[in-house]
Amino acid sequence: MGSDTHRADERRFLDERGSNVSLAPNGLNPATIMEKAVRERIVDSYFWKEQCFGVNEADVVDRVVDHVSFIGGTHGVSQKPTPFLCLAFKLLQLAPGDDVLAEYLSFGGDKFKYLRALACFYVRLTRRAEDVYRTLEPFLEDKRKLRRKGRAGTSLTFVDQFVDDLLTKDRVCATSLWQMPKRELLEDLDVLEPRVSPLGDIEDLLGEDEDEEADDGN
Amino acid sequence: MQHLRAIGETGEVRKARAEEVHQRIVDAWERLQEQKRAATTTLKERLEIRED
Amino acid sequence: KHWDDVVDEEDDVDTEDDVDPEAEYAAWKVREIKRIKREREAIEAREKEREEVERRRNLTEEERK
Repeated sequence: MGSDTHRADERRFLDERGSNVSLAPNGLNPATIMEKAVRERIVDSYFWKEQCFGVNEADVVDRVVDHVSFIGGTHGVSQKPTPFLCLAFKLLQLAPGDDVLAEYLSFGGDKFKYLRALACFYVRLTRRAEDVYRTLEPFLEDKRKLRRKGRAGTSLTFVDQFVDDLLTKDRVCATSLWQMPKRELLEDLDVLEPRVSPLGDIEDLLGEDEDEEADDGN
Repeated sequence: MQHLRAIGETGEVRKARAEEVHQRIVDAWERLQEQKRAATTTLKERLEIRED
Repeated sequence: KHWDDVVDEEDDVDTEDDVDPEAEYAAWKVREIKRIKREREAIEAREKEREEVERRRNLTEEERK
């Protein structure tokens, strides 16, 4: 396979499991990051067949803009994979570099919130822990609304909340997230600086909070 | 379909570089703004017709 | 299109941004404070646990004497 092309379909990506696929920066095999049952549902879906064939890194932008209006893994009785999940799987196949991801996350992410959400999800699946924290945490400031579809139906969430889920939960969008070292540990190792909230000093804030509660009591 | 043209006999698709991704974002944004403008115009026209 | 979901109106949520920027900021602030508190409590819990382990270790040493 030439270094300047991708296979149009997923067959080689899935067939050569473990043998020829290059590992993600966090050491995982991108072909097996999603569970087998989920992968099968994805490649069987209409959306995958009709919108994810022969798609490259730039086409992913159009697919998100035109077809992604909610996040989620699989939903409904048939456990249909969402376009969001299908495109995340496509990214696992395309393995975009950090320069492309930066376009999705920042320039593209400012304009299209679901593009940012998708790229955050992909970064969480494939990047090293310190890069996940560094890349994702700034988006804890992104308060834009997201629609989420899951087993419980449709609900409202936010980019910051989705990012927080990615940083703290074990399972997001039908995918088990690999266990990252805790932030605290990376701070102890001097790999990461402590996170500073855009709200500033926490002591001030909590004081303020308690004042408000006291005011309510009066 | 437009994207099928990019695929040759080999079943391969060209990788996109970051600059192309950037440009695609610009294009997608402009396309969306254009659609919004068109939608507003249509609505305006419809309202004007109703007023007549 | 068949891959698009038929959006059930009753089930849907409004995801329009910047409708009421002040309220949206206030709601975000609540979420952010919750996160900060959660992290702080986790650190405190771990510290307590460490102290407890230390305390027990000391006890056993004294008992051995």
